[in-house]
Amino acid sequence: MNNVGINKISRREFLRSGFVFGAGQAGLSAGYAAVPDVFTRAVYAAKKDGVVNDRVLVMIQLAGGNDGLQTVVPLQDPAYRDVRPQLSAAADTALPIGDQWGLAKELPGIKSLWDQGKVGIVQGVGYPDPSQSHFDSIRVWETGDPTRREIDGWLGRTISKNYDTAGHPLVGCACGATGVPGALRDLEATLTVIRDQQSFKFVGGEEMERAAGALYTSTPGIYGALFDTAVATARDSVAQLRTAASQYVPKATYSDSVQLAIPTRNQLASALQLAAELIVTGTGVKILHLTLGGFDTHYTQQARHESLLAYVDSAVSAFYQDISAHGMADRVLVATWSEFGRRPRENASAGTDHGTSAPLFLIGDPAMGGMFGDAPGLTKLDRQGNVGYTVDFRSVYQSILEQHLGVDPREVLSETFEPLALIREPVAGQPGPLLALAR
Amino acid sequence: MAARATVTRRAVLGTALVGGAGVAAARILGAGPVDATAAEPTTEPLADSAALVSGVDWISPLGDERSRIAHLLRRTTLGYTAEELETAAADGYERTVDRILETPAAEPPPLAGADEASQEQPLRPDRLQTWWVDWMLRSPTPFAEAMTLFWHGHFTSEYRKVGVASPFMYWQNRTWREFALADLRTMLYQVTVDPAMLVYLDLAQSSGRNPNENYARELMELYAMGSGTFTEDDVQAASKALAGWRAPFTDAMRAALIARAEELGRTLPRAIPPADAVKAGVFVPQRAYRGPAFGFLGVTKTWDTEAVIDRILEQDSVAPFVAGKVLRRFVGPSVDDATIGRAAARFRASGYDVRSLMRDVLRSPEFIADASYRNLVRSPIELMVNAAKALNAPALSRLIVTSSPGFGHVLFDPPSVGGWTDGAGWVSSNGMLGRINFATVAVQQTRSLPSSADAAALYLDSTVGPQTAAILNTETEDRRRWIAVLSSPEAQLK
Repeated sequence: MNNVGINKISRREFLRSGFVFGAGQAGLSAGYAAVPDVFTRAVYAAKKDGVVNDRVLVMIQLAGGNDGLQTVVPLQDPAYRDVRPQLSAAADTALPIGDQWGLAKELPGIKSLWDQGKVGIVQGVGYPDPSQSHFDSIRVWETGDPTRREIDGWLGRTISKNYDTAGHPLVGCACGATGVPGALRDLEATLTVIRDQQSFKFVGGEEMERAAGALYTSTPGIYGALFDTAVATARDSVAQLRTAASQYVPKATYSDSVQLAIPTRNQLASALQLAAELIVTGTGVKILHLTLGGFDTHYTQQARHESLLAYVDSAVSAFYQDISAHGMADRVLVATWSEFGRRPRENASAGTDHGTSAPLFLIGDPAMGGMFGDAPGLTKLDRQGNVGYTVDFRSVYQSILEQHLGVDPREVLSETFEPLALIREPVAGQPGPLLALAR
Repeated sequence: MAARATVTRRAVLGTALVGGAGVAAARILGAGPVDATAAEPTTEPLADSAALVSGVDWISPLGDERSRIAHLLRRTTLGYTAEELETAAADGYERTVDRILETPAAEPPPLAGADEASQEQPLRPDRLQTWWVDWMLRSPTPFAEAMTLFWHGHFTSEYRKVGVASPFMYWQNRTWREFALADLRTMLYQVTVDPAMLVYLDLAQSSGRNPNENYARELMELYAMGSGTFTEDDVQAASKALAGWRAPFTDAMRAALIARAEELGRTLPRAIPPADAVKAGVFVPQRAYRGPAFGFLGVTKTWDTEAVIDRILEQDSVAPFVAGKVLRRFVGPSVDDATIGRAAARFRASGYDVRSLMRDVLRSPEFIADASYRNLVRSPIELMVNAAKALNAPALSRLIVTSSPGFGHVLFDPPSVGGWTDGAGWVSSNGMLGRINFATVAVQQTRSLPSSADAAALYLDSTVGPQTAAILNTETEDRRRWIAVLSSPEAQLK
C-alpha cells in the first residue's frame, strides 16, 4: 500500500499552513472567513475543567464598518456639523443620553435600557496602526491580535482554554451563520453552526442520521477528521436542539420583517431568538456569535444605516425582553463589535468611507451602565482624515473575559490592558465541570 | 483489500430513507464488491495528536489515466455526466485539456426579460439563479461555467446592492464568461467598467472632486495585488484617477422612470438622459478629476483608468497574487511558494494570459500528483451541480437554487466583497448536514434514477473508504445506493 506523503501532515500543521486565512496575500474570504468548526473531540479529555458560573456572552458583529458618529451622535460638536453637512441632521432627532451625546433615533429600545442603567457605551475603541481593509481589520478584531500573527479567534481561544466542549458542541455556537465566524474558531474547540433552526435536522430522519454517522467514521484523508467531527457535531446538536425546542416558548415577538434600504441575508431576530432558546433551555451555551451585515455605507448612507440600526434595536430589545421574562437576564451580556468606524467627513455620495475607531455597546443586566472612554475629537484628524483611538479594543475584551465570564484573560490575550469596569458585578471563576451550570 | 467495517445494512440505511413501501429492491447488475481502498494506518505517529487525523489517506489512483481524467473533470467542470467522462476518456488526458481550453465558451440562451429589467419589471434573483444553474447543468462547455463561477467569486458583485431594477447582474455574468480566459489587463478593464461593479463598489458615485474609495481599494486589495502591497495614499490616488464613470441607462429603465413619474403625477425632469447603446459604464469627463498630476504607486503623472490598470500590472505582487489564488483553487490548499512563483513568472511573461496560466496549471505535475488527490473540498454549488449531472436530472436546478442559502453559497449574493470561502471553510456542522440533506432530497426528487451499478466507479474512482464500501457492498436498492454515493465523504472532495 502506498501511503501518500500528505497524511503525515498533522491537522494542526495543515490548518496552520495558511490556507484557512486565505494564505495572507490572497486574503480573500479570510476576513469573514468561515473556518472549520470541528476538530476531533477526543483531545478534550485532557483539557482542564471549565469555569463554573452562569454567565453567557452574546457577541453581535455589525459587519462592514458601523458608523459610530451616526450611532452615538455628538449633539453639541460644531466639528460634527462641519464634516457631515448632510448626515449631521441626526443630531436634531437623536435621543439624548446626557448633554453631549444622543443615541440615533432608531434606537429607542436601547435608549430605554440605557435609562435603566443597562447599557455601557465605550467610546473611541480601536487599535494602533489600524487597517482600513475590511478583511484585515475583521481579522484583527476576531483574533484580538493587531500584529496579524494569531490565527484562532479570541472567543475560540476562550472556549478551548476554559471549557470542555467534547460532546457539548453548543458551548460555542454561531447562530444564523452558515460557517464558523473567525472570532469563534479555534483548532481545539468543537463548535456548532446553526443557520436556521427549522432546517437543522436530517431530512432522512433518524435512519439517515445513523447512516451519516456510519459513513463519516474514520474517514481517510486530510479532511477526514474535519468531516467526521462536523457530522458528529451535527448529530449531537440536532438531538440537543430537539429537546430545547420542546421546552422553549418565546416570551417576546421577534421579527425579521423589517424594511431595510438594502435587504440583508442575515436574519438577526431569528438568530437572537435561537440564542435565547439555547440560553433558557440550559443547553450549556456560554458564547454565542451573530452577524448582521450591510454597514459598509459608502453611498446614500442615511436610509441604509438608519434602517439597520432600527433592526438591531428591535431584535436586541426582543431578545432582552425574552430572556428577562425567562428570568435569565441577570446572566446574559450582549456586546457589539465592528471592524472599524467610518471617516468623519462624509463623501460626495452622501456616504462615508472606511474609518478607524468607533463606540461599541455592552447591553444587559450584567453591563455597567454609562459612558466609558473618550470620543476622539473630530478636529484632530490624520492624513487620511481619520480619528485616532482612545481605548484599545482588547481592554474591552479583557474586561468582558475577566469580569463577565470569570476567566483569566491572560490565557486569551497576549498582553495586559487597562481594565475598564464594564461589568456591574464581576464574577470569579472557579474550576469545575461545565455542565454544572445547566439547569 | 476487503471492506473492514461491519455495519449492518439495517443500521446503515433504514427503511425511512425511501418513503412508501413497495419499492422493489432490485439486484444491481454489475455491482460487485467495492474495494475499500484507503491505506492502512500510518505507522508514524502524527506530530500533533494522533487523534486529530484518521491516520489513513486515500490511495491515489492518479497513476491511471482514466482516474486522472475524472480528477481533471472534477476540478475544471462543476461536475460531469457519465457521457462526458466517456468522451474525455476516449480522447485521453492531453487532448481533453486542449479541448477544455480551446473550445469557445458556449453562450447560455438569453434570459427572457432580463435585458429589459427595470423598476417596472424587476429581474427576480431566483430567476437569474435558476437560469445560470440550468446552464451549468446543460452547457456543452462546462469549463466555461466553472471559470465563470471562479471569477464571480473573485470579481464579485451582489444583487442586494446592485439592485434588481436593471439587467446589470445578468450582463455581468455574460461578461465574466466572455472574458474568463482573457488577459488580466482586459479583464481588469472590463471589471472596472462593468455596470454591476460600478454600482456594487460605488465607482458610479465617485467624482474627481469627491472620490469614493470603495472600488479603488478593492481593485488593488482583492482583485489584483493583495493586502499590504499599497498605501492608503495609493487608495486615495486611485480613487481620484478612476472617477468619472457612470452606469448605463437602458430604454427599459428610461421608460420605467417616465412611467413611474407619470404614475405619481410628478413632473418629469427636464432632461431625462437618452438611453445608452452600450452595456458598459459611460465615462463622463466632467465628473473626472481635472487637477494637476499626482502620485500613484510611486509614479507622478496624469492618470486615467487605463493608466491605473497598467500601473497596477507593473507591480510584482500581481502575478503571484492571481496565480496563487488559481493554484489554491485548482491544485490544492497548501501549494508552496516555489510552485506559485514558477506559475506567476510564466503568467506575467505571457502578458497575464489566463488561458496560458490555466494550461500551465492543468499540465503541471502538481495537478496530477498523488498528493493532490482529494485535497480540495467541493463547494456547495459544485457538489449540487455534480449530483444533478450524475443523476441525469437537470430538473434539480430549482432544488439547487433553493438549497444554496443553507450553505451560504447563493449565486449573485456573495457573503462579502471578498466572495465565498473555500476548501475547509465549507466544513461545519451546518454545512455537512446540508450536504447530506441535499443528497437525500435530490435522490428522492429524481423520478427516473440511473442505475447505481457504476456510480462508485464513475463518481468515486472506485476509491472509497471502508465505511462507504460497507454500504455499497451490502445495499442493493438504487435509491439508497445513490444517497450513499452522493452523501459520502468521497463525494465531498475533488
